[in-house]
Amino acid sequence: MRENGGPVVTDFNYTPSHQKQFLQPAVGTTVSSHQDLKQIVEMTLGSEGVLNQAVKLPRGEDENEWCAVHCVDFYNQINMLYGTITEFCSPQSCPRMIATNEYEYLWCFQKGQVPVAVSAPKYVECLMRWCQDQFDDESIFPAKLSGQFPPKFISKYVVQMLRRLFRVYAHIYCHHFNEILELNLQTVLNTSFRHFCLFSQEFELLRPADFGPLLELVMELRDR
Amino acid sequence: DIDITSSPKKLPAGFHEKAKSHKTQRVVSVCQMYFLDYYCDMFDYVISRRQRTKRVLEYLSQQRAQKSLGNERLNEEWTGYLQKEHEVLRKRRLKPKNKDFE
Ligand SMILES: [Zn+2]
Repeated sequence: MRENGGPVVTDFNYTPSHQKQFLQPAVGTTVSSHQDLKQIVEMTLGSEGVLNQAVKLPRGEDENEWCAVHCVDFYNQINMLYGTITEFCSPQSCPRMIATNEYEYLWCFQKGQVPVAVSAPKYVECLMRWCQDQFDDESIFPAKLSGQFPPKFISKYVVQMLRRLFRVYAHIYCHHFNEILELNLQTVLNTSFRHFCLFSQEFELLRPADFGPLLELVMELRDR
Repeated sequence: DIDITSSPKKLPAGFHEKAKSHKTQRVVSVCQMYFLDYYCDMFDYVISRRQRTKRVLEYLSQQRAQKSLGNERLNEEWTGYLQKEHEVLRKRRLKPKNKDFE
């Protein structure tokens, strides 16, 4: 797994079914330049209420299913975003999973054990694996059409997952934003994070305390 | 014990070399394409779902006005429609598995 002595890179991409099949090129609708991306993402950021509208529960839909789909979507987005900075987020550069010097996130390797300090890449690796295990657990994220969500699915599972996924945004914003700027990914990061906040807000999933180091940014994005 | 020489406020040593590397360029463009694709698809889904729902509701209120369908039947049609939408949404969440290709 170790490439040229660099940081351990694990491909956690959880392929969503809505990613276009490679056999359907959809000529004319495929947007392939950075300019197009910029326009679309800026459109989502700039125009009032586009994302606010998109997070609303569709009429008659089960709230559990809507939240489950979003968990997978945000997981994928964070995986993609963090993937761009893995070269810059190593156990040497980030020996602890922190967001500013005020917040440190610990990982608990076994139930009942004391959570321990780990490096940022280790934390993200553990977190992504933990999410995958949850997604693969049919009793939590049912795949069969007949499968039911467990009782209190949202308060027990969705909230916990979003709380943890948030920490990756926090680490990126607080410790790798300059790299993100240099790579010209700030619009993508802001869109993703704003979407994440609007969704959490719509269903009252996270408390202000969960946003810890990014509380000011959350307020700013909300007021846009 | 945090090493402030590699603190958030500045770029890490060797940044530009790494940023120019083939690997970084590739993950950055994969990331941008992913988001583009995601948001196009997501808006497309949200908008077309709303349109479908609107059509079904229009159809149902039409039937109701003409009294061509009883209340029970109207409810069944609506529930059946929601079930179908629910199945579509669940499928969006799942990664394609080989066993799905029967
Ligand atoms: Zn880092």
